[in-house]
Amino acid sequence: MAGIESAAVKKIVIACDAGMGSSVMLASTLRKQLKGNGIEVVHSPVDQIPGDADVVVTHAGLAARARKSTPEGAVLIPFQVFIGDPAVTKLVNTIKNGGVVGG
Amino acid sequence: MADIPLDPRAIRLDCVAKDRDDAIRQCGETLVAVGAAAEPYIAAMLERERTLSTYVGEGVAIPHGTVKAKEVVHRDAVCVLRFPGGVDWDGEQVSLCVGIAAKGDGHVRLLAELAEILMDPDAAEALRETADEAEVLRLLLEGTE
Repeated sequence: MAGIESAAVKKIVIACDAGMGSSVMLASTLRKQLKGNGIEVVHSPVDQIPGDADVVVTHAGLAARARKSTPEGAVLIPFQVFIGDPAVTKLVNTIKNGGVVGG
Repeated sequence: MADIPLDPRAIRLDCVAKDRDDAIRQCGETLVAVGAAAEPYIAAMLERERTLSTYVGEGVAIPHGTVKAKEVVHRDAVCVLRFPGGVDWDGEQVSLCVGIAAKGDGHVRLLAELAEILMDPDAAEALRETADEAEVLRLLLEGTE
């Protein structure tokens, strides 16, 4: 996993078990934080990650399953807590300030 | 707001649960009681929780079913159950459960509002502490502004 330039990130997918609860919450939070950056934020079941995802964000407990359906070239970012996880904060800051995501 | 997915009958602020599964079962029973899902959804909620905790922080958990269980969901709905005595949630202390039954996106706006509340410790405390059902509705539907 080589990482991806923040400017090249167009689509972030929040992967969850059911795509019903926590991923919905996290997606709405990220969407708000990244408003104006021209990035699409969607949520999806962990086994059905869209092929055009650039960054996949998922709970650490689902990372192994998410890895199987993460498209080639996309970066997988696991997190532990739904609200205020350092990995998610880092992702938002990297996109806002520039840099390499997952590098 | 005719399509609010939170039925006032699904807000119960004085619940007592002996453990996590009991709390989840009560959420499921509430969702079934308001006609949001069929009985098997409760077992799916328990199954989902064993896979991965739905604890989201600030003393709040959002139990819900599995992808497969969407088949037994009748409509998108949430319930709010408050456990003033707290529930041990795999080592975390939970005092509020927002149970979810969904097959579409009807509950998304409410969850987005919940996320906003949980990022603000004062607002989260207000939501956890209130024993007023109207206040819960107001916080979740109108937000904190």
